[in-house]
Amino acid sequence: MAANIAAQRIKREFKEVIRSEEVAKCAIKVELVGDSYTELRGEIGGPPDTPYEGGVFTLDIKIPDTYPFNPPKVRFVSKIWHPNISSVTGAICLDILQDQWAAAMTLRTVLLSLQALMASPEPDDPQDAVVAKQYKENLAIFERTARFWTSTYAGGPPADDDCSRKISRLMDMGVDRETACVALSTYNWDLERSTEQIFS
Amino acid sequence: MSGEEDSAMYYSDDDCGYDAYYNMGDCDVEEVDVKDDPEYFAYETLRVEQVERLLNESVEALSNKLHITPSLAKVVLLTHEWQLLPSAVAYKNNDWIQNLLNPSGGTKLETIGSKLRCPVCFCPAPPEKFSSIACSHMFCNECWVSHFEVQITQGVSTGISCMAQDCGLLAPEDFVLSLLTKMPLREKYQEFAFRDYVKSHPELRFCPGPNCKLVFRSKEPKAKRTICEQCKTTFCFKCGTEYHAPTDCSTIKKWLTKCADDSETANYISAHTKDCPRCHICIEKNGGCNHMQCYNCKHDFCWMCLGDWKSHGSEYYECSRYKENPNIVNESVLAQAREALKKYLHYYERWENHSKSLKLEAETLEKIKSRINAKVMNSSGTWIDWQYLVDAAGLLAKCRYTLQYTYPYAYYMEPGPRKELFEYQQAQLEAEIENLSWKIERAETTDRGDLENQIDIAEKRRTTLLKDFLDV
Repeated sequence: MAANIAAQRIKREFKEVIRSEEVAKCAIKVELVGDSYTELRGEIGGPPDTPYEGGVFTLDIKIPDTYPFNPPKVRFVSKIWHPNISSVTGAICLDILQDQWAAAMTLRTVLLSLQALMASPEPDDPQDAVVAKQYKENLAIFERTARFWTSTYAGGPPADDDCSRKISRLMDMGVDRETACVALSTYNWDLERSTEQIFS
Repeated sequence: MSGEEDSAMYYSDDDCGYDAYYNMGDCDVEEVDVKDDPEYFAYETLRVEQVERLLNESVEALSNKLHITPSLAKVVLLTHEWQLLPSAVAYKNNDWIQNLLNPSGGTKLETIGSKLRCPVCFCPAPPEKFSSIACSHMFCNECWVSHFEVQITQGVSTGISCMAQDCGLLAPEDFVLSLLTKMPLREKYQEFAFRDYVKSHPELRFCPGPNCKLVFRSKEPKAKRTICEQCKTTFCFKCGTEYHAPTDCSTIKKWLTKCADDSETANYISAHTKDCPRCHICIEKNGGCNHMQCYNCKHDFCWMCLGDWKSHGSEYYECSRYKENPNIVNESVLAQAREALKKYLHYYERWENHSKSLKLEAETLEKIKSRINAKVMNSSGTWIDWQYLVDAAGLLAKCRYTLQYTYPYAYYMEPGPRKELFEYQQAQLEAEIENLSWKIERAETTDRGDLENQIDIAEKRRTTLLKDFLDV
């Protein structure tokens, strides 16, 4: 019975999200993966005046049988540098996706809440401790890193030359792009420390 | 076991149990014995019906006082530890409870002809098929039921809240039960709700024994020994785990976690054999007593420290005490870590050893019983004549149990005169228990008077230690 409600709900929600104004502004989008209504793909446009501006972030959404009485399982597919989102797995720390979920919420409210979370991180309740630390201790570097990730992984505006140059330097030493990016991001773009860390 | 547990109040009879408790007032029948016993603890045993009656009394009192439904009173009591006065005050002052009285108006639902659209399933239904709790957030009954089913299947009952966004209002019991029709789910809901009520009540505890349905009540909940009259489970009233005097609840938790974490180091010690310190023959410990006598060379030694047993007389017994290196602060980090491990192993080894001894002594008791049986069959004395041996073994178990739990206590103690006093008493208890264990293992050749004397001394040492250090 419950699984039935889940599929019914998703069908109706599609209409709602497609109708809504946010889609017109290209800020949020949901589409089916296959035709079972249990797996969906979401998209969020990076909010303006944030390091995520200009990027489009893809989400993996799984609908449990007990939806909407239990929350959907949502994860970032696009890599993102954000205190409440794991830079490794894309797992999200957001109360409405856990115990604060209410059956009256919809995929639209989830996507809008995620957009709001991107605009105002909560570093005191972190999912990624490394990112949260950088956010709290060096906001300028955090913004630079987040912008670089948006450019590299979410199709954002062209990347910071200095960052790209440092990544190339590490790649010249035989390090793959991702390892280089993670090390430099973690060590505040300090080339020497990153190199040391990779080769130690 | 000795008779001291009898001092706790047990009621099995429906008529006298509950009412007698209330009519008894403060007069304590066994006050004389009680003051002397550091482990004395007053509690009563309740069956499910008795607990329900107790809870209903509070519910009725609050609902009469505030003129609210019993179901609502239950929600308020549940969130205020079943204390009448704080519940009443909170009810009058607290915002979320006020919401129960003055509905916020709820949400306007989309209408389709004469029907309303449910914000959860998005399906239209006639208005009479909609319900809400005090917050007035309307949802169709089918969605409410599905919501309850999902929550109950996940083990949630009294915590079920409204389905609206940002509304945490709890659904009262009568609302849930008025919509929920499936019998198995109703039963589950009621079972879980009962569990929540007992767990939220500071004076009540479920028996931790497997499949035991009894509940215990104490007006002064403390970290004291509670024994289930039905399944015989012994536990600490406060934390519900194994009884752990003289160690307190948080310390024993810390200790057990530490022991579990360090299981590898523990494995290293758990070897059952040691070599005789004199003739080096391999010896397996098969009894509980730590006073060992090598079967080969007859050398008497201590299993724990492998020292000569002669130095373990009550005056000199020191092998329970850990001797810290006085210069440790000036040593390197590595040396300090090694010292910390050495210290932990010292206490862990003794803790673990007593636990093993308890098991071995349980085997000894079985052997004693069968030997007594044989004697009675051979007409050498009656059961009653030999009963003192069984009593002695019971007391030995009790003493060793306490002794085992003195080690986590000592491990976490700050060095100082109090620790010295503790370890002195611990050493005394240790010595007397080993004496007792030695005598019990050789019961046939020990004089009965001598053994009874030893029982008395050991128990006195145990109570003295608890009197001085059991602080709950």
